[in-house]
Amino acid sequence: MPEGVAGASGQRATRAQTWRRRGADVAAVLVPTVLFALARTVDSNLLLLVTIMVYVVLAQGVNVIYGFTGYLPFGYVGFFGAGAYGTYIAVAHLGAGAVEATVLGGVCAVLVAIVLIPLLRLRGAYFAIASLAAALALSSLVSNPSLQSVTNGPYGADLSQVFSSGGSYWTAVVIVAFAMLVVVVLRRSRLGLQLRAVRADQVSASYAGVNVVAARTGAWLLSALLAGLAGGVYAWAISTFYPTAVFDTTISLFAIVFALFGGVGTVLGPVVGAVVLYYVYNAIGVNDPQYFQLIFGVVIVVIALFLPGGLAAVLLGARRRLATRGADAG
Amino acid sequence: MVLYALIAGVLIGLFYGFAALGLSLAFGVLRVVNIAHGDVIVLGSYLAYELSTQAHINPLFAIPIAVPLAVALGMAFYRFVAPSLGRSSDPEMVSLILFFGVSQVIEALATIGFSVNQDTLLTGPIGNGAVRILGQSFPNYYPAAAAVAVPGALLVMFYLYRSRLGLATRALMSSRADAMLSGIDVDRTSALSFGIALALAASAGALSVYVNGGVAPTDGPGLTTTAFAVVVIGGLGNPGGALVGGLVFGLAEQFAQSYEPNWAGLVPYVLLLAVMLVKPEGLLGRRVRYA
Amino acid sequence: MKVHRRLLGLAGVCAATGGVVAIAATQAQAGHTRASAASAPKQIVVGTLYASSGAYAADSIPQYDGVKFWVNQMNKQGGVYVAAYKKKIHVKLVAYNDQSSPTTAATLYSQLITQNHVNIMIPDFGSVLTAPAVSIAQDHHQLLFDATASGTVFFTPNNPYIVGAGIRNSAFWPDPLVQFLVAKHIKKIAILYDANDFDAAQAATLDHGLIAHGVKPVYYQSTATTTTTYGTLIDSIAATNPQAVIELGYNTNDIPFLNTLPSAGHKFNMVFTVFPGQLPQLFQQQVGTKNLGYTYTYATPPLVPYPKVNLGLNTAQFSRAFKAAFPSQAVDYPAMAGYGTALIAQEALNKATSFSQLAMRRAVGNASGKLTTAIGQFKITKDGEEEGEFLPVGQVFPSHGGTAIKVVYPTNLATTKAKYPAPKG
Repeated sequence: MPEGVAGASGQRATRAQTWRRRGADVAAVLVPTVLFALARTVDSNLLLLVTIMVYVVLAQGVNVIYGFTGYLPFGYVGFFGAGAYGTYIAVAHLGAGAVEATVLGGVCAVLVAIVLIPLLRLRGAYFAIASLAAALALSSLVSNPSLQSVTNGPYGADLSQVFSSGGSYWTAVVIVAFAMLVVVVLRRSRLGLQLRAVRADQVSASYAGVNVVAARTGAWLLSALLAGLAGGVYAWAISTFYPTAVFDTTISLFAIVFALFGGVGTVLGPVVGAVVLYYVYNAIGVNDPQYFQLIFGVVIVVIALFLPGGLAAVLLGARRRLATRGADAG
Repeated sequence: MVLYALIAGVLIGLFYGFAALGLSLAFGVLRVVNIAHGDVIVLGSYLAYELSTQAHINPLFAIPIAVPLAVALGMAFYRFVAPSLGRSSDPEMVSLILFFGVSQVIEALATIGFSVNQDTLLTGPIGNGAVRILGQSFPNYYPAAAAVAVPGALLVMFYLYRSRLGLATRALMSSRADAMLSGIDVDRTSALSFGIALALAASAGALSVYVNGGVAPTDGPGLTTTAFAVVVIGGLGNPGGALVGGLVFGLAEQFAQSYEPNWAGLVPYVLLLAVMLVKPEGLLGRRVRYA
Repeated sequence: MKVHRRLLGLAGVCAATGGVVAIAATQAQAGHTRASAASAPKQIVVGTLYASSGAYAADSIPQYDGVKFWVNQMNKQGGVYVAAYKKKIHVKLVAYNDQSSPTTAATLYSQLITQNHVNIMIPDFGSVLTAPAVSIAQDHHQLLFDATASGTVFFTPNNPYIVGAGIRNSAFWPDPLVQFLVAKHIKKIAILYDANDFDAAQAATLDHGLIAHGVKPVYYQSTATTTTTYGTLIDSIAATNPQAVIELGYNTNDIPFLNTLPSAGHKFNMVFTVFPGQLPQLFQQQVGTKNLGYTYTYATPPLVPYPKVNLGLNTAQFSRAFKAAFPSQAVDYPAMAGYGTALIAQEALNKATSFSQLAMRRAVGNASGKLTTAIGQFKITKDGEEEGEFLPVGQVFPSHGGTAIKVVYPTNLATTKAKYPAPKG
C-alpha cells in the first residue's frame, strides 16, 4: 500500500515530526474544502461542482472500503441510491428539511449496509459481484410499481419543493470536508491501523488481538455513510430523478476508477483523481464519448498493469527519487 | 404455463450455463476475473450479426470462425499481462481492474465500429419457424442455443478430463505451485486456458444475439453479471457446475416471469445473494472461498 | 482518546475556516450583479442535449436533427423574428452529448444555463433525460421547451418554467385506444408494461379507462425495463385467453416482444405496441413485415398528416424538406417533435413583448389552443402539460414489400377500417 507519510507505525516521532504531520492532516482537510468553497467564484456551473464534489466523496468512500480493507465494491452505487431515496422519503413522507433529509439519506445507506453486513464474509471478486447484485436488487426494488406509495416507484422522485442550488452546494462542501476528515482520522486512528494490519496479514492481525470482523464492519458502515450523504446531496441538487439515474452502475465504476487513478490508501489521491478525471470527462468526453471511453479504458489497463499505486505513487516515487538524488549530491 | 416455464427455463438455462463457462474456466484456472467476459460475448454477437447481414451466412458459422481467433488473441493477451499479474501481491484484484479497463476499451471500439442502437437478426439460426416441444411452441433459437451449449460444455469437459493438457489445467486449478513443481509448463497451459475461455465467450455471442433479442455495444456488463451469477450459483472451475448454475438461474427467471412478473427482475440477484451467503462454495463447488 | 482530541481540533479548525469562506463567498456573490440587456442580443442562443449512444440514442438523434432543421430554416430566412426588439436575429445552436446518462445530462444542462446563457432551452429526449433539467431550470428562471418528456412529476402549479411543446403527456396517450377497445367490444384485454414512468403512466390510464367502461383487464402486470426474453411472459399472457394484448415498453422491449410472438405459438386477435408508429423504419428493419403485419400502434405524424397549419411547414412539406436536409435520417416522430417544439419556441420569440423567460411563457400560454403545427394542435393545461395533440390508433398493413401504418380510429381521422381480428397465419 502506498504510504506518503510514515503511518502510526508505533515508532516514537520527534516533536517536529508530530507537528508537521498534524499540519499535513489539517491541510489535507482544509485545502480541498476551501478550494471547493471558492470554486463557485470561478466556475458558475454549480451543479458541475456539486457533481465533482459528489464524486470526491464517493472516491473517498471507495478509498475507505477498498484502500483500507481490500474489498472492492462494484455495487457501491447501491448506497448512493439508498441515500438519494432516503432523502426523498425523508422530505416527502417525514416532512424533513433538506439538510436533515440529506443526513437521513446517509443514515438510510448505513441501514442498507447493516443489512448487507453478511456480504463481508465473501472476498475478492465474489464480494465485488455480490455487492453489485445487491445494488441491482435494490434498484429493482425501489422502481417496483408495488412500492409506489413509498418510493413513487417508476414515476420517479420529486424534491423540487426543497430545491436550493446554493443550499445543496454548501452542504456538498461540508460533506467533502467530512469525507476528508473521515479519511485523515481513519489513517491516524486505531481502527485504521487495525485495518491495515488485517489487510497485510489477517491471521497475524487476529492473533495480535485485532477484532477483524468489527474492524471491517466499521470501514464498511463508514463508506456506506459517505456514499449515502453523497447520494442525499445529489438528490437534493437535481431534485427530479428516476431510479435509473441514482442507481446507474457507471456511478460506482467512475468512483472506483477515480480512486484508483489518484491512488487508494492515500488521503489526497482520490480527490485529485476525481477532480482531474471528471473535468477531463466533462471537457473532452462530452463531445467524443467513445474516444474518451477508449482512453479511459486504456488508462485503467495501464494503472492495473504498471501503476498499481495510482497517481499518488508516481508522484511520491518521483519525490523520493529527487530526495535521494539530492542527498547523493550533498 | 408450468410446463412452458419449465422447458423455457431449461433451454435458456443451458444457454446461460454455456455463456458462463469461459468465465468459470478463467477464474477457476487462472484466478483471473474477466470483467470483460460479457464484452467478448458482445463481439461474438457482432461477428454473427455481420456474417448474417453482410455475407448472408448462417450466423452460427460465427462459432468456428471465432474459436481460433479468440484462442490466438487470448493466448497473446495473457502472455502480455501475465508478468504484471504475477508480480502483484493481489493478482485477483488487479485482474478485476485490468479487465474492467479492457471492457471499457471493447465497449468503446464496438460503439465506434458498429451502430449505437440495438441490432436484431431477423432470420433465425434455422429459419424462422417455431419448434414444438411437448405440445408447447418455442422460438427455434431456444433449442438451437441449448443444442450448441450442451456439446460445447461436453467438449470442455472432455478436454479437462480426457486430455493431457486438460490434466495439466486441472493440476493448475488445484495448485499452481504443485503444478509448476511437477514440470507442467504453467505459462503455456494458462495462456491456452485463457484463450479457450475467450473462445467460449465469443461462441456464446452467436447465440446471445438471438436469446437476448439483439446486440448493442453496452450489453457487456449485464452479460458479465449474469455469467458471474451463474458461475457463483453452480460453483467454480467446474463445467458441470456452470451448467447447473445456468439451469437454476434460467428456471428461477422463467418461473418468476410466469407467476410474478412484477418481481422477476429481482429474482436472479436475490438468488445469487442467497446462494453466496448460504452455500458460498456454490451448489456443486467444493472450495471454501470466504475469509 | 488522543484521536478524539485531535478530531475535535480538526473539526474546530474546519468549522472556523468554513465560516470565513462562506462569508467571503456570499459577499462575492452579492457583488456580482447581472448586467441588464438593454440592447438586442447579437444572436439567439438555443441550447439542447442529445445522446449519441446508449438507451435513448435511437430517439434522441432525430429529435436533435429536428431542432437543427428549424435553426437552419430560421437562419436561411435571416434569423428568427423577436418581437421584443422588433427585428430578426440570427440563431445559434449549442448542443452537448449526454450519452443517455442522466448524471452527465444534469451538469450539461447546468452548463447551458450558467455558461452558455441560452435564451431557448430544449431538453433531451424522454423523461429520464429531461428530469435533471427541471429543477435547475426553475431555479435559474429558464423556461424549458419540453419536446418529448411526458413525465408526470414535472408539471406543477408553482413551476412556470416548463412547458410541454412537443409530445403529449404519456398519461393521455391511451385515451383513443381505450375508446377503440370499447367500440370494438373487446372485453378480454391483457396489459404488460415496463416499470418506468413513460410506460407505467400509460398502463395506469389504460387500466382506469377500461375499468370505467366496466372492462377489467384479465392480465395487468409490470416487468423490468431491461426485459428482452418474452417467451414465458407471452405464454402466461396467453393462459388468460385475451383477445387483445397490449405491450407498453421502449423500442428495445417492443422489438423482441414482437419478434417472439409468432414463435410462441399463440395468435391474438389484436396486438398493440408503442413504438412502431414512432420509429417505423427501425421496426421495418428489425421486426419485418411478417411479425409487424396487422399489429396496432399509436399513429403519430408524419403518419397522421396535418395539412392545415398556421405556424411553420405542414407535415408533408416538413417531410420533404427534412429528407432533403438529412438524407440519411428517417423522417420519424422524434424528428417532428424536435421541429414542433422549436416552432413553439419561435412563437414565444415572435409574440413575447419583452425578452424574458416569463414573458415567453405567457406568450406560449396565450397561443394555447390557437396553433396547429406539423405535429398537430398545440394546447396546454395551466400547469404547462401538452394536451392538445392526439395520438390515434394505427394498424400496420403489409404493402408492396414493406408495411404502411394506417389510422383506424377514431373514425373521423381513419383512413381505413381496422382488420380485426388479425388474419391468422
